[in-house]
Amino acid sequence: MKDFAFILSAVVCVLSAAAIVSRKNPVYSVVFMLPFFLGMTTLFVLLDATFLAAIQMIVYGGAILVVFLFVIMLINLKPDELREDFSMKSWFISCVGAGLLAATFALFAYRGTRPNVEDVHFAKPLEAKSRPHQTELGSVENIAYPLFEKQMIPFELASVLIIVATLGAVLLSKKKM
Amino acid sequence: MGFDFPLLIADAGLMRLSSCLIVGGIIFAIGAWGVVARRNLLIVLISLELMLNAVNLVFASFARAHAGSDTAPQYAAENGQLFALFIIAVAAAEAAVGLAIVITWFRNRETVDTRDMKEMKN
Repeated sequence: MKDFAFILSAVVCVLSAAAIVSRKNPVYSVVFMLPFFLGMTTLFVLLDATFLAAIQMIVYGGAILVVFLFVIMLINLKPDELREDFSMKSWFISCVGAGLLAATFALFAYRGTRPNVEDVHFAKPLEAKSRPHQTELGSVENIAYPLFEKQMIPFELASVLIIVATLGAVLLSKKKM
Repeated sequence: MGFDFPLLIADAGLMRLSSCLIVGGIIFAIGAWGVVARRNLLIVLISLELMLNAVNLVFASFARAHAGSDTAPQYAAENGQLFALFIIAVAAAEAAVGLAIVITWFRNRETVDTRDMKEMKN
């Protein structure tokens, strides 16, 4: 059952990612972001990262997607500006580059992990014997303890980053500098 | 769920570390193609989000892989998920700033085509 859900969500993710980068109109790209994020959330749930899945759906599906849609409606592109008449050569070269990247990742996944890292079956439930104190992997308690005890400074730096990014976005989109 | 699919038995071993890494690699490569080959600035930004999502998936799968091991230090798996959480925060900030830059560019030049961005050429 877990295998079936994994295959289904992985196929949905890859197909909608291909649709995102191949549509001519960016509105369709944003529409195809929704099944992509849904599939990604399902993958996170299957990987026992439930809090991460919730944050993924809230931040990406709720905030970033809507902001992209807003911007696309705001700038209101005319159809003749959506031209993609790039040359055959550059198309071919970028395809070869992306294919080489994917092949490298596949090679790493197949051979690079073998000697050091065990190729773990995720369909088996996590046995409690190896994790006596923390049976649930991605729960809020188990995320919160290392976040607020060990990673306090990165957490505060992330809030500073978001404030600076907000101010920068407001400043950039003002009419007069 | 009480029912079983005839072809996919309950634990066929399809969902494992390497298959998760392959899915992440494919999505990252698709996003990289979008960044390199597309000419629409908005689609370039969306492809960047795809790449960040692929990295998050790899982090989560390695966290899940190390959760079951007895030699890993305490909260090692949670730290992997935390890193993905920080990536999401950075991605939100990046989307805000990037879209502000797109809006400013469009206001000045009436285009979002990367081929028209040649003010700093030569």
